[in-house]
Amino acid sequence: MSLSFASILIRMKLPQGGMRHYTHREGQSYPITLSQRLYTTFLAPFFIIALLIILSNSISLFPSSIAGVGDQGIFNYLGAAILATFMRMFVAYVLAVIVAFPLALLVVRVSWAERLLLPIFDIAQSIPVLAFFPMVIIAFTNRGLWDEAAIVVIFLAMIWNIVFNLVSGFKSVPRDIEWAAIVFKLSSWRFFTEVLLPASVPSFVIGSLLAWAQGWNIIIVAEALHLYLPKSNPHDLFGIGSILVSASATGNGALFISAIITMILTIAIIDFLVWQKLLHYAERFKFD
Amino acid sequence: MLNGLNLTNMTNEIIYLKKVWKRYDDIDTGLIDIDLAITKGDFVAVIGPSGCGKSSLLKIIAGLEAPTEGIVKKPERVSLVFQNGALLPWLTVKENVMFGARSILGTEADIEERTMHALSEISIMDLSNKLPRELSGGQRQRIGIARALACNPEVLLLDEPFSALDPKTTETMHRDISTLWEKTGATIIMVTHLIEEAVALANRIIIMKDFKIAGDYSITLSHPRREDGASFGQEVRRIHKEFFADM
Repeated sequence: MSLSFASILIRMKLPQGGMRHYTHREGQSYPITLSQRLYTTFLAPFFIIALLIILSNSISLFPSSIAGVGDQGIFNYLGAAILATFMRMFVAYVLAVIVAFPLALLVVRVSWAERLLLPIFDIAQSIPVLAFFPMVIIAFTNRGLWDEAAIVVIFLAMIWNIVFNLVSGFKSVPRDIEWAAIVFKLSSWRFFTEVLLPASVPSFVIGSLLAWAQGWNIIIVAEALHLYLPKSNPHDLFGIGSILVSASATGNGALFISAIITMILTIAIIDFLVWQKLLHYAERFKFD
Repeated sequence: MLNGLNLTNMTNEIIYLKKVWKRYDDIDTGLIDIDLAITKGDFVAVIGPSGCGKSSLLKIIAGLEAPTEGIVKKPERVSLVFQNGALLPWLTVKENVMFGARSILGTEADIEERTMHALSEISIMDLSNKLPRELSGGQRQRIGIARALACNPEVLLLDEPFSALDPKTTETMHRDISTLWEKTGATIIMVTHLIEEAVALANRIIIMKDFKIAGDYSITLSHPRREDGASFGQEVRRIHKEFFADM
């Protein structure tokens, strides 16, 4: 009897009671897909083992200090860098949320705005963030506004995910609910605060998660400004992105690996402590 | 029948529509020349085939849509129970009912009192702190009714409220709505596509066909109505015959 590899894998993971389920939503569950089985069976253990090997190597190579780090120690150095990067991303995220909400609301509530703005947003979000870099250099770095330049770059990477997900969240309000709001004489303000805002929570969380992912993607560009500035005025921002670039450029492999691990751990901790909890919380705001 | 209805002298009529037309952009017609007067305390069932204009009529009475032509007079407080409850999933049962109660101005104590009264009226006090997704279809529909009652409506509109429920729950809901109507004397207008349901609950049945009112009949059976009784069957057959005439 010949069994395919995939079917063995599926049988291996299935308990006798039937298909295993995972759930964010209490009382409702979703079947685990084959790709998730593959991930949990092979890729995740491989990833964890690889991470442990790298971590143990870097710790044994640099127990207390690392080239280019100075006297403060590797953990303090990378900790301060990741904190600086995180604060930059947080400020950019807050700005993106502040701008995204009125834009999304305009698109959803004003019919001409939807016809005019959505195509513009669509084009704007398809332009790579790097294309805006010359403008950012002219507007900010030439005036010495290094942090502001990085924040603007991260903001541009983040905003469209939030806008489009908010639009989709605002539009997820069913017709019946809009009618109920009319029948029960809700003011515009009450409709916004009691219906639209809660209804947008699931999409907003997804949009924010994607925005932060984009932010981590672009952080190297945002902090390694020397690559884009004249040689007479080299400048980098202190952060995990710029450490990655300089470590790579100077061949400092240990620092590079340590920085990568710091970044991965930070992203994993944020995912575990923030996004997973928010995704779970957002389930109650979903319409059936 | 409505022929000869005097629409200018209606002391006891709570709703009237005179020569009401509704046209939509995407389809030609919604309603054609509707004349309708509804007496305070009536339980009116509007029946008709799909797409005949029942929902358009209900939306106009609810104030969700304006007529293209004609006069609509209706009281200030008209409440609507939706087909699927239309509850806010993030609010508890009590908060959902309060959502309706807040449509009338009043202090927080008034709103709380109206909410608790509506919850006890529909016998769902024990569900107060649950979320809609933790409840069955019948329980959700009860919350929709409680929410509609919480704003002290002069007219209660029901838009196919039992169409998504199983037969047993539907029967229980019929009994509860019937009791509620007798107890409160509220004016109720219900859209349904089931003749049996209309005969079981209403004291007046309006048949709609092709965007017009095609018939208007009184049901004189006493409440509670036994759906397995002989007189009930006779009424159902009478409405059934009128419903399918000219079809």
